[in-house]
Amino acid sequence: MGKELLVLGIESTAHTLGFGIVSSEGRILANINYTYKPKEGGIHPREAAQHHSAIASTGIAEAFRQAGISPREVDGIAFSVGPGMGPCLRVGATIARTLALKLEKPLIAVNHGVAHIEIGRLVTGCKDPVVLYVAGGNTLITAYMDRRYRIFGETLDIAAGNCLDVFGIKAGIGPMPAPEEYGRRGRRFHPLPYKVKGMDVSFSGLLTAALRMLKEGVALEDLCLSITETVYSMLTETLERALAFTEKKEILLVGGLARSKRLKEMVDAMAELHGAGVYVVPPEYAGDNGAMIAWTGVLQLMAGQTTPIEQSRVRPRYRLDETDAAWREHGL
Amino acid sequence: MRLTRLGGSMASEEGWQMTLKAKSEVIRIGAEAIVSKLEWNGFKLVSKHRVPKPYRMPELDKWVRERRTLHEAKIISDLKKAGVPCPAVVLMDRDDSTLYIQFIEGSELKKALDELPPKLVESVARNLGEIVGRMHSNRIAHGDLTTSNILIDRNGKLYLIDFGLSAVTDDLEELAVDIHLLDRSLESAHHPLREKFMKNFLKGYSSIMGRDFTLRIIEKVKEIRRRGRYVEERRRRS
Repeated sequence: MGKELLVLGIESTAHTLGFGIVSSEGRILANINYTYKPKEGGIHPREAAQHHSAIASTGIAEAFRQAGISPREVDGIAFSVGPGMGPCLRVGATIARTLALKLEKPLIAVNHGVAHIEIGRLVTGCKDPVVLYVAGGNTLITAYMDRRYRIFGETLDIAAGNCLDVFGIKAGIGPMPAPEEYGRRGRRFHPLPYKVKGMDVSFSGLLTAALRMLKEGVALEDLCLSITETVYSMLTETLERALAFTEKKEILLVGGLARSKRLKEMVDAMAELHGAGVYVVPPEYAGDNGAMIAWTGVLQLMAGQTTPIEQSRVRPRYRLDETDAAWREHGL
Repeated sequence: MRLTRLGGSMASEEGWQMTLKAKSEVIRIGAEAIVSKLEWNGFKLVSKHRVPKPYRMPELDKWVRERRTLHEAKIISDLKKAGVPCPAVVLMDRDDSTLYIQFIEGSELKKALDELPPKLVESVARNLGEIVGRMHSNRIAHGDLTTSNILIDRNGKLYLIDFGLSAVTDDLEELAVDIHLLDRSLESAHHPLREKFMKNFLKGYSSIMGRDFTLRIIEKVKEIRRRGRYVEERRRRS
């Protein structure tokens, strides 16, 4: 390969506005992220978008300062085109289009989910993993097969992280990791709906049952133990099925819930049965960040996948398996 | 030990267990269960043992395996009542999460189909349609209905096997997935036969389920196919 390419990546799918600069050698030169924190309740898309707009110019300047390069030195501008919240996505897309036109550099539209996986592969060094992507809003099992990240299993209703967060909040102990910590003091296991259908999972019935049992006076610690053990077992079992099916030898844990010690313990025990290695994305690259968009932008740029401005509309419901992962065919 | 022979009491439980375990030959290792062939007092049986998973806490692990074993036995028993041909459960060892099932002397439809005379393919397909129709009219979805999970014996009699992913359901989509999976397995392994097979299958199916329902489920199958979610890849081996 000739000259080292540099790409600026912009992340703005939800509460995080991030700017990253990554080189084609995989050097992360900058990773600047700002998170919008609502005063109460969940994310309001328009308020998050306003937060992103207000902080954007500071963030770009900071990223270039951290990387020690001038804007003219980048070879492409990548942005997360989806999935995510429309108003938030449009902030990142607008900045990216403006910079691409002004600097006369190619624009690269990146799938946010694919970027989580690609940064995971870069920073952990695994090559061809089965991926468990578990975050507040996502629960899916995916692996690369025939040019795409195929979805082998996913939640049929709410995300695993969401299930545990909601339980913790309604029980008055707060979101994860509180339920897992309380669960360590649990003594008695109570069966909860364990819903695995092939490689798909369902958590809403389990959440309802756990909340009902809480009202009925079942000890909080015991319920925390039961809900976390059940959720993690379901995830590990579906992951095992995907591993057996794909015959791959690596497992990559991505997303906020990948920080759970107990989940990691279970996945390790399962992986041992199959002689597979387990890789976990470190915290600074596990959440939404600009570097992951920049690195995926590098891969797409090297595979010749740039995006004409007129085709750069945001895609709030962009599925992981719709992306042509052409760079994987080039051994990247 | 709780060893239960369906439909009767049983003497010397330990003895049964010993002879059952003695001469078994593993025929399939799945993600969830180990399937072995064995002989007991002249009966040919198949055992399906749901293996413990070391990553699950013991109470949860036991509960999950036992519940699934009971579910599968219940579905098979419901199907037998409904006249759907499938191998009967002969024994159940709840503590060990193992089903002992009648062994069917036959071969997978996947392997047999290409050697059947054309005239017989039509009647087999039609017969399968009736069988699946009878299963669906009892609100049971097989969950993994490929030509590998259909057996055919020397006389051309069909049996459905492996109800590990089955469900009792009111959801049209779950039933449609059965037909979708069957169609996809024909498409990949028996392409020249597929059209004729499915046409006759649907004739048999609609003779049980009626024309209106059959048209509705065909629409649903088309929708699943359009979504292209690789359902068959995801379910085939789980």
